[in-house]
Amino acid sequence: MTMGWAWLFLVLATYPWLLGADLASDVFASSSLTIFVSGACLIAPSRRLRRWQAVLFAAFLGFLFEARRPVPDGSVALALVAAVIFLSSNRQLLRNTPGMLRAAVIVNVLACLCWYLGAAFAAPVAANVPSGQLILQLLVAALVGVIILLPVALTQNAAMDRLGVPPTPETP
Amino acid sequence: MPAALRRLNREAFAEFQAPALHLLGKSRDMATFWEKKSRSTEEMAAAGRDLARINAALEIKLNAMDDVRRENIRLREITRYAVPAEYMSVVARVATRDSSSWWQRIVIRKGRNDGIRPGAPVVFGNNVVGRVTAVHLTTSEVDLVTSPGFRCTAYLEGDDQNRIALVNGVAANSLGTAKARVSVIPHDYTPPAGQSARVFTTGMGGVFPSRLLLGYLDGGTYSTQVGNFKESLLVPSRDLYNLQEVSVLVPLHQNPGEALMQGDQFQ
Repeated sequence: MTMGWAWLFLVLATYPWLLGADLASDVFASSSLTIFVSGACLIAPSRRLRRWQAVLFAAFLGFLFEARRPVPDGSVALALVAAVIFLSSNRQLLRNTPGMLRAAVIVNVLACLCWYLGAAFAAPVAANVPSGQLILQLLVAALVGVIILLPVALTQNAAMDRLGVPPTPETP
Repeated sequence: MPAALRRLNREAFAEFQAPALHLLGKSRDMATFWEKKSRSTEEMAAAGRDLARINAALEIKLNAMDDVRRENIRLREITRYAVPAEYMSVVARVATRDSSSWWQRIVIRKGRNDGIRPGAPVVFGNNVVGRVTAVHLTTSEVDLVTSPGFRCTAYLEGDDQNRIALVNGVAANSLGTAKARVSVIPHDYTPPAGQSARVFTTGMGGVFPSRLLLGYLDGGTYSTQVGNFKESLLVPSRDLYNLQEVSVLVPLHQNPGEALMQGDQFQ
């Protein structure tokens, strides 16, 4: 029972970080910067959860982000689900901390790119300097991915330990 | 006894007593001095610490009073605007702000349960903040004046003929201040000299009441590429990212603007 709902409990354990990212976005609102962390939150669950659980977790995270932003429905959720399917199929990439950091940066940046393009597609007007803003937003996403991965992964691992999710095999 | 003698007598006795009174005061000062001098350094340090604590507590109390005073001013300002009879005013606190290149929104802590409906104008005093775009049970999302999804008609200060201009948000530069664009400004319009021209709502379209302040023209006007009209940028009348409360003007009866908003929550 618990294992089946592990992804949902993990979402609840991750939610304070998402809320923190929203508060940080609130602080940077006058600079038009969004602190995007959803991609970085996928890394630890991709190592330990079963694939279907990780997919549900990623979709939930994506829809949480989309719920309050005018981006096309499913754009972020699908990007996160695609990322988590890839990661759970290649768990050897997440074997050590540098690998996890690299994955956090790449996934966070790619997911950020997806929402940015989705928002651009849905926006009623064109941006003034879209490439400059895009690069700035992606840089912020990469930086946030590096900074936030370890504390988020610690929280998620602690939650998964309590939920009885089996640890990552040494040789995946 | 003659008056002069009486005054002399009084003066003489006063002067006679004066040195004694001086002595009394000085001896009291000296006693205090020696009493303090006799205290140990630890005692003085403890007294200093206590004093510092009291000072800190008083400072906190002063700051709290200052906060209360600022909040009082803010609340007075928000209620200064006389809400038109066809609207119901719902005051709401701002929960979070969220912006990117493509949207500038705030989330307020009132929603469907409080009677808020999509399309309702959001103001602070008589300044336009934005428009409600999505309503949830206990929260609502508000598109700010500077958000690309925001559009409304406007009158410009100094235009005696009251010709209509168009205000719409523009996509913001990151790290830049968000502004809106005022377009369809007649070619012969000249802003008032020596001040930024104010931009008001027209009241047409049924969304915003008339004569609400949208903001100020940023600098002068410039011709568009087509050349038929001029354009300018609009600086919002309030710092939209520092708002803590706003008023939502909920129309008592559904208006055309609100009907247009239905099913179009995210533009």
